[in-house]
Amino acid sequence: MNVPLSALIWFPALGALILQLLGFVNKSKDIKSIAVLFTTVALGLNLAVLSKSNSGTYLFQAVESVSWIENLGIRYLVGYDGISFWLTVLTTLMTLIIVVATPETTKNLRGFFGLVLLLETAMLGSFCALDLVLFFSFFELTLIPMFFLVSLWGGPNRNKAAAKFVIYTFAGSIFMLVGIVALALQHQKVTGQLDFSIINIQASVASGKFWANAIQAQTFIFWALALGFMVKTPAFPFHSWIGDTYAESPTAGPILSSVMVKMGSYGFLRFCLPLFPEAVQSQAPVFMAIATIGILYGALVAIAQTDMRRMIAYSSLSHMGFVLLGIFSLSYKGMIGGSFQQFSHGITTGLLVLLVGYLVEKHGTADMNAFGGLKAKMPLFAGLFLLGMLGSVGLPTTNGFIGEFLALMGAYETGARGLFGLSPGFAIASGLGVVLGAVYLFVMFQKVFYGPVKVTEGPDWQDIPVGKALPAFVLVFFVFVGGLYPNLFFGQMEASTQATRLMAISEATKRPSWKDKPEEVTIRVALEDPMQGQYIRTGSERLISSSRLHGNVDEKREIR
Amino acid sequence: MDNNAVWLIILLPILGFLIQGLAGPSLQRKIGKKALGVLAVLPIAASFVLGLMLTQGLASQEHAEAVIVSGGSWINIMGLNIPFEWVVDPLSMTMVLIITGVGALIHLYSTAYMAEEKDFSRFFAYLNLFVAAMLVLVLGNNLPLLFIGWEGVGLCSYLLIGFWYTDTANTKAANKAFIVNRVGDWSLMLGLFLIVVVISGANIPVEDNRYLSYDAMLPALTTALKANPAMATAIALLLFGGAAGKSAQFPLYVWLPDAMAGPTPVSALIHAATMVTSGVVLLNRMNIVFQLSPTASAVVCAVGAFTALFAAIIAFGQTDIKKVLAYSTVSQLGFMFIACGAGAYWAGMFHVTTHAFFKALLFLGAGAVIHAMSHEQDMRHYGKLAKYLPITFGTMMVGTLAIAGVPGLSGFYSKEAILGSAIANSHAGQLSAISGWVGLGVAALTAMYMGRLAMLTFFGKEERWRKLPVAEHHDHEEGHDDDHGHGHALTGDHKPKEVPVSMWLPLVVLAVLSAGAGLILNEGKRFEHWLYPSGLSQLGELKHEVPNLEIYSYIAAGLGLLAGVLVYIGGLPAKEGLDETKWARWRSAAANQFGFDALMTNLFAEGGRDVAIGTSSFLEDQVIDGAVEGSASGTRNFGGWLQQIQTGAVRLYAMLMLLGGVGFVGYFLFIVNRGGK
Amino acid sequence: MSGVPLAAYLALGLFMFMTGVVGVVIRRSPIVIFMCIELMLNAVNLTFLAFARYQFSPMVAGNSFREGQSAMAGQMMVIFVMAVAAAEVAVGLGIIMAIFRLRENIDIDEMNLLKG
Repeated sequence: MNVPLSALIWFPALGALILQLLGFVNKSKDIKSIAVLFTTVALGLNLAVLSKSNSGTYLFQAVESVSWIENLGIRYLVGYDGISFWLTVLTTLMTLIIVVATPETTKNLRGFFGLVLLLETAMLGSFCALDLVLFFSFFELTLIPMFFLVSLWGGPNRNKAAAKFVIYTFAGSIFMLVGIVALALQHQKVTGQLDFSIINIQASVASGKFWANAIQAQTFIFWALALGFMVKTPAFPFHSWIGDTYAESPTAGPILSSVMVKMGSYGFLRFCLPLFPEAVQSQAPVFMAIATIGILYGALVAIAQTDMRRMIAYSSLSHMGFVLLGIFSLSYKGMIGGSFQQFSHGITTGLLVLLVGYLVEKHGTADMNAFGGLKAKMPLFAGLFLLGMLGSVGLPTTNGFIGEFLALMGAYETGARGLFGLSPGFAIASGLGVVLGAVYLFVMFQKVFYGPVKVTEGPDWQDIPVGKALPAFVLVFFVFVGGLYPNLFFGQMEASTQATRLMAISEATKRPSWKDKPEEVTIRVALEDPMQGQYIRTGSERLISSSRLHGNVDEKREIR
Repeated sequence: MDNNAVWLIILLPILGFLIQGLAGPSLQRKIGKKALGVLAVLPIAASFVLGLMLTQGLASQEHAEAVIVSGGSWINIMGLNIPFEWVVDPLSMTMVLIITGVGALIHLYSTAYMAEEKDFSRFFAYLNLFVAAMLVLVLGNNLPLLFIGWEGVGLCSYLLIGFWYTDTANTKAANKAFIVNRVGDWSLMLGLFLIVVVISGANIPVEDNRYLSYDAMLPALTTALKANPAMATAIALLLFGGAAGKSAQFPLYVWLPDAMAGPTPVSALIHAATMVTSGVVLLNRMNIVFQLSPTASAVVCAVGAFTALFAAIIAFGQTDIKKVLAYSTVSQLGFMFIACGAGAYWAGMFHVTTHAFFKALLFLGAGAVIHAMSHEQDMRHYGKLAKYLPITFGTMMVGTLAIAGVPGLSGFYSKEAILGSAIANSHAGQLSAISGWVGLGVAALTAMYMGRLAMLTFFGKEERWRKLPVAEHHDHEEGHDDDHGHGHALTGDHKPKEVPVSMWLPLVVLAVLSAGAGLILNEGKRFEHWLYPSGLSQLGELKHEVPNLEIYSYIAAGLGLLAGVLVYIGGLPAKEGLDETKWARWRSAAANQFGFDALMTNLFAEGGRDVAIGTSSFLEDQVIDGAVEGSASGTRNFGGWLQQIQTGAVRLYAMLMLLGGVGFVGYFLFIVNRGGK
Repeated sequence: MSGVPLAAYLALGLFMFMTGVVGVVIRRSPIVIFMCIELMLNAVNLTFLAFARYQFSPMVAGNSFREGQSAMAGQMMVIFVMAVAAAEVAVGLGIIMAIFRLRENIDIDEMNLLKG
């Protein structure tokens, strides 16, 4: 069955509407069942759309184009490719898990689920939008349900946290809007037509004509867009909204944040790398530095936290640092690692937040010092928490390891060869983040679960019932599937990631473009790797040989 | 025997883990602890049998050829292929036999040692998982698989050290172990990356892009490093950093003494026989890198020698029987690295083997003593136990003589091999010979502190444990709090009783092995031929004959033992008694690790926490968040300032409108139209 | 045309306007303010009529049709202004009545509910 992409995108919003209209359904249990039904169908639609995907191509699939504001060049243009493939799955999966995990005692459940479903539409839309204005619309649309979710169902300080979150993110997006308009105007200058579709803009960039007379402007416009994404990712130093938001959100909040932050890193992959090649190459050291600082700083601040949710927030900063590290290493392994880390971070953070949320639900606090010796009372819960922690700390066989390992390897590779002005110091320093990660997570685990039992008897301290733990089991499953069988995920990502990378680092006329004909696709991604054949700098000598032996291209492996 | 059995070798312990972990508590109720214990030992024993068969297959060949058994792909992206693949070669099979053999014996021992534990199945789940992870480490054919095992054993070590988790001290020790290990892992990962960069940078084709698989990587790496020797040193040092973390070399040894907080079988298996030897295994696998880098080899030698000496001296200041053995382990590991630094990698492995036997024996024996003494671990409260614990005494003496290097027992041959190679070879330059002579000195020290241990525990003039205060002998069914002496007394009729069969049988087996392993392996020559049939590729045949070294070793062992016996024959000397203020200064310093652990704790743990809190409260809350909040309040204040215009007074508004209107009209009349009409 | 010079009319208009302006700004009673507003509007009317009568615009000089038109225009404006003034007074007095009923006090300075 051929499910159109728009059906997937708009179905949750439709579900939200229907849920509001079903006024006669009053019992919380029923409302929750309906919401679960809608999110399950959304997940099913997602899988149906994706089942038709062709993993060998980097061209956009399931593209739909409807004219919207034609005389300004704005169209309703959606499609997905290898990069957004797993992000859409992450979105629908996590929304389903949130809906299942929300306790039925939440007040105004109908409104809550309505907002969650609306948020799901906005996120799916932003991952699939291929027109800049459409992307911006969906991007901003996510703020509205988030604001209401936090300010109506959040913790004691919720109003401030919600306002901070919305205003901060919005401020970053304003810069992004300026950049978008500048891009469209530049397109008009070059081709005579105002167009916001990235397919057309990138085709012009790929041919080298787009930025031919505007090299300086390129860096400015790049930074305009990058600022918006940096606030979302979050990247140091624009990260201070995460602490309050994670701490004051209802349980649904941070899980959603773990998906929403992917919009930031996705933005880099989808917009910054393909559209600003020279700027990306020259600014790569800056971003690597930002990533490294984020990794270490996030870990350090996490060590000092006593509220578990804040600790997870700063650990998010640290993990997303690895994503940026991988992406801006501009090496293939690094980018695959960074892209994979997006998905794995969503899963492991979601799992930890879910479990902490359970503690908050039962005991009203997430303060580490309020608990102690929980393992004796709640062994299943402790076991699940340990597994989530292992995923977060990056133990090999969990998905966290794969992402971090490949991202670090890629960063080290480019750094050791001195390409793009990078140095191996970034990878070396970021490796320390792996050690620090163990510190804050293990100390937290020890304070909460080990030690003498600090709690009294009572129904509240019983172990988590298996039914409630079901979402956690699902996430643990993904943690280990991702760690032991990552090829499942790589297969879909490879062509698009390599294409995006080549769009960013190849010379002007050799760049792939989304307007390439399908026959050209295989040749394009098997292009001679620009990084091939460079010795490591020893002293001041650097040999460059451009022989095309096997190296980074696997000639035996066919790309369908 | 089909080499595919290697899958079973790994999967059986995993199956054991799953059974114990998921069905353990319910099975414990249904079939009882004894049966559950058997169920825990079975997978390990089965893996041992399979391992024996595979080794048989290898040994029947003239020159043992490595066989790669491939599984599915793990990471396979453009430019990097890391499959699941196992290597069946002498090195891995040796380790498999040690791990499963000694492991099975320790599992058997644990069924009695942990018999009073409530969390019986959890212990065996972790122990089985550990064996599985260790097997992955040694059987993996590529470095990432080794890394899976590497971190896996680190995890199991963490879980087992903190097994009695209600005592915070145990869990803190577990955290320390994991985190210090992680520092080593950081170094190892960087080494891995550097290998990939060096090979791909030199444009050397690697079969199927398996940049990190031994069979494909090592030849390519050799070629690349011959052209670029500086990289060899870099890679070697990074790999050694990882090894130093796992194998507790200075300065990353600080976790091992604290790890004694775990149950004694754990100390025996993990922190003596298997996990801590992972570093030596790594160096053996990657020996080509060390062969190409004399500098790195010299560093390895030096660190090994220093660690051996340092730990040996500290052992004199310890009164806890397990701590003496822990530092002894650190010291013996130093020996293994001396061997690897000198180029005699096989000698390091030989010592791994013999050390596994006698150290496991010593730890299990110590466990028996502790068990019999109701958890008293302080040797100052032992004395004359030979009478009451005959089997334990006999086997532990064999172990002590073996570790002391008494001729004929296995320890002697492995130490000979190490010291001989170190002194006779110049691969690592002068440092190698110096390390060798230092090692000889440490051998004497080893004999002396082990003699001290034996004398204080089993001999002496009085049964010092009779002086312990009376305490209730309460029921242990609820599960233990910790393994530290909470001073159960054994006064009156409560005499220490010899341990049950399932505990002394492993002791006897290990004693036989400790005694005979050296001779069986033909004084090491057979072992060398087994591991490296064609010799070393770069360094060729190494010498390990040093004139008169044997005699020096006899003297060292003899003197050491004699000294130990003479000093402690009368029991506990007054200067080492319970009143620690009477101790000699050097002994108190040694007891405190010469302040090193305290320094590290202050610098990194406390200092790190201060940095973290400082970063959080200053940089984060005041600077960065302050900027954000500051801009918000700044905007608010500006709005407040502007608010002053809105007085609500209509007349003011009227006045402002007038002035504005006049200004506006005047602007247009006079300034805009200034040029003309 | 003999008689009163244009400037006289303009001066009178200016004087009336200024009186009105000062009255609006200074006085506190809204009724007096309305009277001053009326004064300002009348001043404006006077100025319009003066220009209509004296046809001072150089653009229409010499063109009798246009001259007639400009005179008409001026007088039409006056009619408009008077109509608007009447409407404004009606509404304004109504508001004052409502405020008085509510507060018993129509001092302008007390009406600062719009203070922000």
